[in-house]
Amino acid sequence: MKALSSLSTALAALLLAGCVSPPAKTDLSAFNAAKPRSILVVPAANKSLDVDAPNYLLTTLTVPLAEKGYYVFPVHTAKTVLEQEGFYDGDQVQKQPPESLAKLFGADAVLYVTINRWDAQYAVIQTTVTVDFDYRLVYKDGTEIWKANKKMQYTPQQQNTGNPLANLIAAAVTAAMQRAKPNYMPLAQMANVQVLAVEPTAIPDGPYKTVN
Amino acid sequence: MRLIHVAVLGLALTLGGCATRNSGLYDWGGYDAMLYGAYKDPSTVGANMQKLQLHIDKLEQGKQKVPPGLYADLGMLELQSGDKDKAQAHFRKERELWPESAGLMDALINNGSMPKAKEAKS
Repeated sequence: MKALSSLSTALAALLLAGCVSPPAKTDLSAFNAAKPRSILVVPAANKSLDVDAPNYLLTTLTVPLAEKGYYVFPVHTAKTVLEQEGFYDGDQVQKQPPESLAKLFGADAVLYVTINRWDAQYAVIQTTVTVDFDYRLVYKDGTEIWKANKKMQYTPQQQNTGNPLANLIAAAVTAAMQRAKPNYMPLAQMANVQVLAVEPTAIPDGPYKTVN
Repeated sequence: MRLIHVAVLGLALTLGGCATRNSGLYDWGGYDAMLYGAYKDPSTVGANMQKLQLHIDKLEQGKQKVPPGLYADLGMLELQSGDKDKAQAHFRKERELWPESAGLMDALINNGSMPKAKEAKS
């Protein structure tokens, strides 16, 4: 009897702990004032040594942004159109004024990502794989409305992030890393989901997620 | 006995309480993986386009909303492989389903030769 009641207490505690958000929250006043509906993801600036990283990262941003309720411009189409305009890499694109990029595509906001790290360090016992991104969301009038950094490093002990999707991806990371060649994709996906959907950096829900 | 039920309910709440917040809006069908595959190994572009088309067909038949960008990116891949008609049809569908895309889709539909540099020679 007592054992069972303490079990339910423990479960209740788990329930509460699972959803509690840390208090230090990103300032979202500019974001909430701008209320963007659509987001243009432009190719990332690359400070890592992996030349393929920007293309690969580009494929991981649509899902978490759209699942937050925003229209996300087709990333491959946007990349191709930018190449037509003469912009072949992210560093070049990111030097363009956000106002003109937003206007070219008819976007409410532009997401700029800088890849700081995308590497694997080999050691005797284990390989440490690291991704590190700076994210910046700029409204079409040039106002920066959200900014965050996310660094993810693969470590064997997974922790509960409080976000089921992030937890699920964490399990995928573990599986991927068991292969000889590191696969950065689950790590990049986890970084994006956590930074966009988990406090303290999460962005507000967009128009397609807000229940009216 | 009743307490077991409470415990089970508690567990269900633990699992369900947070999950609702992240229940998916769309069925992506591996769109991100197809794009990744196409970038990683360009010889798989055709196969990945086919997968994307099959997923879109499935969503349309099931009256499910096609996620943002799927029609347009499939259209762009078709344009790049020289199939202008299919590409335009997909750009129109993206525009119809997602009004936010109107400006970009109109530019792509009206400027049929875009992207010039990559248009196939047949």
